[in-house]
Amino acid sequence: MSPSGILLLWIVSLVALGLFAFRVRYLLGLLRLGRGENRLGGVGRRLAAVAWEVLGQRRLLREPAGVLHFGIFWGFVVYASAFIFSLFKGLLPFLPYPMPEEIGPVALALEVFGVVVLAGIGGAAFRRYLLRPPRLEQSRDAGVILLLIGSLMVTSLLSSGFHVVATGHASFLWNPVGTGLASLMVGGGLAPSAASSLQLTMWWLHMVLVLGFLAYLPYSKHLHLLASSFSVFLTDLSPRGRLRTADADGGGPDPLNARNFTWRELLNPFACAECGRCDRVCPAQTSGAALSPQKMVHHIKEHLLEAGPYLLRGTPRNGHYPELVGGVVSADELWACTTCYACMERCPVMNEHIPLIVRMRRYLVTRGEVDARLQDALTATSRYGNSFGQSPKTRARWTQGLEVPVKDVRREQAQYLWFVGDYASFDPAAREATRAAARVLHRAGVSFGILYDGEQTSGNDIRRVGEEGLFEMLAEKNIATMQKCRFDEIITTDPHAYNTLKNEYPEFGGTWPVVHYTELFDRLIDAERLRPARRLGLRATYHDPCYLGRYNGIYEAPRRVLRALGADLVEMPRNRLNAYCCGAGGGRIWMEEAAGVKERPAERRVREAAVLNGVGTLVVTCPKEITMFRDAVKTTGHEEGLMIKDLAELVEEATTPEVSGHA
Amino acid sequence: MNIAVLLSMVPDLVEELEIAPSGVALDTQWLRYLLSESDDHALEQALLLKERYGGKVTALALDRGEAEEALYTALARGADEAVKLTGIPEEGWGKRAAAAVVGAVLKESAPDLILTGVQAIDDMDGHMAGALAGILGLPFVGVTRSVDAPGAGKVLVQKEYPGGMAAEIEVDLPAVIGVLSAPQPPRYVPVARIREARKTRTISEREAPSVAAPEGLVIRRLFKPEPAERAEMLDGTPEEMARQIVTILENRGLVR
Ligand code: SF4
Ligand code: SF4
Repeated sequence: MSPSGILLLWIVSLVALGLFAFRVRYLLGLLRLGRGENRLGGVGRRLAAVAWEVLGQRRLLREPAGVLHFGIFWGFVVYASAFIFSLFKGLLPFLPYPMPEEIGPVALALEVFGVVVLAGIGGAAFRRYLLRPPRLEQSRDAGVILLLIGSLMVTSLLSSGFHVVATGHASFLWNPVGTGLASLMVGGGLAPSAASSLQLTMWWLHMVLVLGFLAYLPYSKHLHLLASSFSVFLTDLSPRGRLRTADADGGGPDPLNARNFTWRELLNPFACAECGRCDRVCPAQTSGAALSPQKMVHHIKEHLLEAGPYLLRGTPRNGHYPELVGGVVSADELWACTTCYACMERCPVMNEHIPLIVRMRRYLVTRGEVDARLQDALTATSRYGNSFGQSPKTRARWTQGLEVPVKDVRREQAQYLWFVGDYASFDPAAREATRAAARVLHRAGVSFGILYDGEQTSGNDIRRVGEEGLFEMLAEKNIATMQKCRFDEIITTDPHAYNTLKNEYPEFGGTWPVVHYTELFDRLIDAERLRPARRLGLRATYHDPCYLGRYNGIYEAPRRVLRALGADLVEMPRNRLNAYCCGAGGGRIWMEEAAGVKERPAERRVREAAVLNGVGTLVVTCPKEITMFRDAVKTTGHEEGLMIKDLAELVEEATTPEVSGHA
Repeated sequence: MNIAVLLSMVPDLVEELEIAPSGVALDTQWLRYLLSESDDHALEQALLLKERYGGKVTALALDRGEAEEALYTALARGADEAVKLTGIPEEGWGKRAAAAVVGAVLKESAPDLILTGVQAIDDMDGHMAGALAGILGLPFVGVTRSVDAPGAGKVLVQKEYPGGMAAEIEVDLPAVIGVLSAPQPPRYVPVARIREARKTRTISEREAPSVAAPEGLVIRRLFKPEPAERAEMLDGTPEEMARQIVTILENRGLVR
């Protein structure tokens, strides 16, 4: 290359990098508006996450279309590396290595990926512009990137052809495409000298396109190319079921703004690839509610870009900062979330939607903006320690008339402190399952006791509706009560209680081991302390509760128990980490029906179970689900065909010797 | 505008009520108290007025049960001051005596507007608000659904009458208003805010002035109503119960 060419390349590169750096610096400034949060411990686990999720594209490969992305991603990596070498060689010609495409295997890789990526882009363009799937937002950015990557591939393949014509070095082995193109070009009468200058033109075109893209990237949605690896690296390593405390979530006259979020929370929207995966699995979105996790994340970015300049300068616009909640994010959408974790399980860039939602809910709660039913539940909980608004003295009423003794663990030592929870204590349908569980535990000779009126609701869902102060009060009270008792482990049938007791109470000083009854039943069967006396000849399917499965990874214990009882277990299409939420979580069970809902999540789920061949029983392991699904089988007309059974009821049935069925 | 809101604590019906050995009062040993619902609305109404027109809201309560909790909650919700009247006899007062005591306190502080709930579960006939107005010699309107203060020296209240009628009434200040409901339901106050109020705010305590007030009423007997005739309870599966209902109807000749 001529000296003036080199100079020009320097100028173009510096301009591009300058634009890039200018924007990135601004964006980092926006992130720094957020509060501090330590995300640097556990580097090994973080690197492993990057290896799996970024390099291995693990979450993307869970679905067939992920292969396309895998191809594009690795094509991009190969091209980007080749580009960097190429650029440095161009800027500093004395560097002692050849141009990447002059190395046989590299040239081959570039050509192969060039074709693969062109095919991928063709497919993507076809899907995006001709099939138009509903969840893809049509944006200028998407068009730009398809065009750009396409041009890069075309220029580099053509360049390879020109190179072969110019040098006469044909090699089907290392340059199959180039050689093929070259023979076409020669056939078209292209002279080697002309080919040589055309190759240089292609090289320049390539450089300018890539540098142009580099400058454009941080100004576009393709920022995710840059931000997503960081998002994955900076993932939350604490247990999934632990929400961050509220710190000083400001109420007051200041609207919620970037300063209420942590910097990591603000990173989410920049890492978002707008791929729509979260929307596809979201029970709120798919049932017609106002919430789209993808749009919500996107709207936070819009808000940040709009309010950011004012916040950075510290001068409000016309007296106040643009509002987030009530502005681009509506209260309705925030309340629609069931905190089911499906979005977070699926998001390929490991965005954290639930902390964002809870953060904004906390803001609404601080302002007293809660719907009437939720307000009743919160008021009742703060007054009586249960959301049912019942006298605390009636909490243990389910033990009345029970054939087996239930210790008061406040007075008597027991191996297990059974934390019963609100639904299992007060809900009439759930109470039957609770009684069955008590009889089963007794039958297996397990020493257990409950807190009677000393128990308050665990607060898992209270925390998730954003009432942090109430949650803390409940946790403190429960921990103080339990600290006075003598026991080894906590057991509960309620996955919501399980989650907060296990993952959140330790931060408040309650560090006891916690087991879910399905785990304990599994152990008891294993140790032959529970012996199924007869096989349940039923064909059943099992619903994974969000707070047991996705949150705490307990998928197999309940299934093992079911198989040990002799049940013929059939899986629903969406099972284990893909299980579809029943709609009760995150405090939804206390709220009015979300606006716009066409088919409730529980109804969808029941339909999913009902069409399974020969399945007559839907087995649940969460007290809230009994009510949710029993209602749903009625409203969907599956009452005859599908029975809702708690696992404890089935265990009791199978371990009862006489055939009468009910103990 | 200075607004005083009188808050009364009433027995929480979530717990079962027991009659004291005396036979003329409730057994207070296990009783929990709760802010009376229409007083909650009166407080909300006062806060709405303050938000719109400025001014000062003072919450006032006789020391009974969880009165302190209610006062801290009032502060957390936006009241400027909270006053607890202490020295209440164990068995409480009748409404007329209570009104006389509160009246004596309010006469001193002379607020522009006094709001309180128009009735309570232990005051279904709505003595309190009216008696207070009588003692203070102030105009009184009860059963209001909204109170507004567009001009100085008076308020505009709305109340509804049976038969689909509503009236807008102009009331000269100072006055006593018996609130049925605020234009919007009482807002939720997060627990953190109440805890914060407990730490940073204080409730001023005042010995209840002794005022001679003849009650004129004596409770002779307090009792659980005896059901005139025992209702017949059906049980069994829905089908069985339906069959029983049909049988009963047939036996009485109501269906053929
Ligand atoms: S947690 Fe569940 S309901 Fe909430 S946004 Fe994510 S997928 Fe939707
Ligand atoms: S948040 Fe995650 S799953 Fe949702 S659109 Fe963005 S990248 Fe995709």
